[in-house]
Amino acid sequence: MMKKIFLMMVFLALMFPALLAMADTPQKGGNLIVCQPAEPPGLDPTANTAAAIDRVVFSNIYEGLIKVDRNGNFIPGLATKWEVSADGRVYTFNLRQGVKFHNGEPFNAQTAKWNLERAMGPDSVNAHPEYFRGIEKIETPDDNTLILSLKDVDALFIPHMAEGDAVMLPMKGYENAKSNPIGTGPFRFAKWVRGDRVEMVRFEDYWNTELPYLDNVVFKFIGDASAQIAALKAGDIDVIGYIAAPESAMELSKDSSYKVYAGTTTGEVIMSTNNKAKPFDNKLVRQAMAYAIDRQAVIDLVMFGYGTPIGSHWSPSTPYYVDLTGKFPHNPQKAKELLKEAGYPNGFEATIKLPAIYSYSRRAGEVIADQFAEVGIKLNIEIVEWGQWIERIFKKKEYQLTMIGHVEAWDIGIYANPDYYFQYDSQEFRDAYAKALKAPNEEEKAQWFGRCQEIIADDAVNGYLFSAPSLPVMKAAVMNWWENYPTIALDCTEVWWKK
Amino acid sequence: MTRYLIKKLTTLLVLLLLVSIAVFSVLFVLPGDPAQIILGINATPETLANLRSQLGLDRPFSTQYLEWIANLITGRGNWSINYDMPVYDLIVSRLAVTGPMALMAMIFAVIISLPFGIYAARHQNQPGDVFVMFFTQLGLATPEFWLGILLILLLSVKFGFFAAGGFPGWSTDFWGSLKALLLPAFALGVIRASILTRLTRSSMLEVLREDYVRTARAKGLRERTVVYVHALRNALVPVLTIMGLQLGQLLAGAIIIENVFYLPGLGRLVFQAIGQRDLPVVRDIVLFMAAAVVMVNFIVDLTYATLDPRIRLE
Repeated sequence: MMKKIFLMMVFLALMFPALLAMADTPQKGGNLIVCQPAEPPGLDPTANTAAAIDRVVFSNIYEGLIKVDRNGNFIPGLATKWEVSADGRVYTFNLRQGVKFHNGEPFNAQTAKWNLERAMGPDSVNAHPEYFRGIEKIETPDDNTLILSLKDVDALFIPHMAEGDAVMLPMKGYENAKSNPIGTGPFRFAKWVRGDRVEMVRFEDYWNTELPYLDNVVFKFIGDASAQIAALKAGDIDVIGYIAAPESAMELSKDSSYKVYAGTTTGEVIMSTNNKAKPFDNKLVRQAMAYAIDRQAVIDLVMFGYGTPIGSHWSPSTPYYVDLTGKFPHNPQKAKELLKEAGYPNGFEATIKLPAIYSYSRRAGEVIADQFAEVGIKLNIEIVEWGQWIERIFKKKEYQLTMIGHVEAWDIGIYANPDYYFQYDSQEFRDAYAKALKAPNEEEKAQWFGRCQEIIADDAVNGYLFSAPSLPVMKAAVMNWWENYPTIALDCTEVWWKK
Repeated sequence: MTRYLIKKLTTLLVLLLLVSIAVFSVLFVLPGDPAQIILGINATPETLANLRSQLGLDRPFSTQYLEWIANLITGRGNWSINYDMPVYDLIVSRLAVTGPMALMAMIFAVIISLPFGIYAARHQNQPGDVFVMFFTQLGLATPEFWLGILLILLLSVKFGFFAAGGFPGWSTDFWGSLKALLLPAFALGVIRASILTRLTRSSMLEVLREDYVRTARAKGLRERTVVYVHALRNALVPVLTIMGLQLGQLLAGAIIIENVFYLPGLGRLVFQAIGQRDLPVVRDIVLFMAAAVVMVNFIVDLTYATLDPRIRLE
């Protein structure tokens, strides 16, 4: 008897690696239904910054020269490799050969040149023409080589070329990109049922013949958080792609039929502060508020523990991150002392305006109000509609405090603009940022981008709370979904179904 | 009658014209620049200007208004910014969801409210009446979205009888589409049935006290004939009025229930369009909703006029 058991165990031990290997071999076929809360306003990522567009089409339908991998590194996309000249101004891209658009048009250096010129032209409606306007000259010595000469060194040029704003459109089929997107990606656009879903099917002529694994991908738009969970449980959808309701994620993580990933994203949730409004123009007041904030409590109460504390305007998933969460640890006593020093021994009253569309923002506002009350700052909460937020808070700067997630990676440059809605004006920061942009090598980039993070943390420009979690929830058989979201995309290229 | 009709129609057109001016003006001055929302908070002023001129937002008020009206009359000229298709087609496709759902909800409401309302009236202050009234109270106090969520949890998640939401489309799956509208229509219908049941009961009670009902009974007619033939017809007049209003309201879109069941209906469309400042869509739908309510009222007016000739002469 013992012998039998022993033999069986040996057999199992021998088989185990084989079983594991089998489990890890991607299988082809199948349909995947991905849910995301917001329906994209059009399907052209070069014409609108809405993250909802990138999440559907970027890397699935459209590709750019450069991709971002799961660890945040820049890897070949439509360019197989790129070289930078010694002075950091000339980029030579080797383009992938034999790439076709979904409508059969070839992709080559001419196409790339046309796309870049379109984005930087005077009548460009690209949401970020400034990404491209540093280009002085575009040369195409042959079909597969693209040489870009920049006016000046730009440390963010490669990161920007890896964003949704820099995807490649075909020269003939680009006009209807908003409703009929044509790209070079692994999936071909099939149908957009307005108000319900976007369907895409495998592109048979994809340059990587191994990919994709799935036959069809459907993006379904369900805004209501509890409706999303109900749809997942009823089997109507397979994946909730992006920030499922944290309370439900917690519940589902205990159920073996589902998987929950608590990865990182490029988004920082911050309590934006009007640095020109009284009393927030006083650095001591801002620092006192930084001491009054208990980040972990915010994360626990708002996100049910999902999310990473941050100490500056930089996400842990972006390169050159410096952990500054220790700069202002939670210390109400210290906060009170600083308030006294600033001339507010009895605290003060202020208003925090919270955008109605983001539930995390409303919840975080309430938690912060409670934490501030502890040190004598009384916050009045005002909920504002999104259009109002853009107009009154963002454009006209009619606010004291607000709460919002900044989702774009590499966006610390907003602190260099004194007209930005934080109204932060610091020559020291502008100098450091300029140095970072002009940094010729990795060490100096790390040094100066690190310095930028430190300066705004020291000045406590805003209340830095947490990096938003990726929080996708899916059926257990969905394999190879992204755990972290270092770029704004729900990339299904390498996702497969375990049968 | 013709003069009455012309008078009513003129009022209707003037009203719609005023509504259109109001809708347009409000959206014109509404904070939240569409171009800014499209290009995001980091957009450059120059790109914003480019997009504004592309969308025609930089032209004067009167030009934009007149063009809008002209496009409304000719049909497909008003174009959705985000959906990149004519607003007219969008509304038609969304009505294919909201319209049947509203009708089904009204059917549910009628099926539930009439029998219970009549029953409660005939057994006034008896245990059955108290029981029915208790449930109507409960129905009035229940938010419809909450009932919707409960139905989903029970019938979709637990038993799997229904999909948790969504809409397959009439042409692809007729029965599936009908089934998809069943739960939301039921949730909407039950809540409206509560109001209608109470109304049917009180209206019925009033009519049952009328002299002609006593006469009918005195004639020796059967109780069933008295109630269903003589009393009910008159008792239904106020009930029908409220039903008409409810239908108009449902056609204007049940925003919350459409979000809970993620149905691509009119309510969800306008909700989303407001958030994204897709102004051509918001304008057309608000005007459509106003027109729907005005039309229903117009029809109700006409019905009164046919029922009661005195109204025509006033």
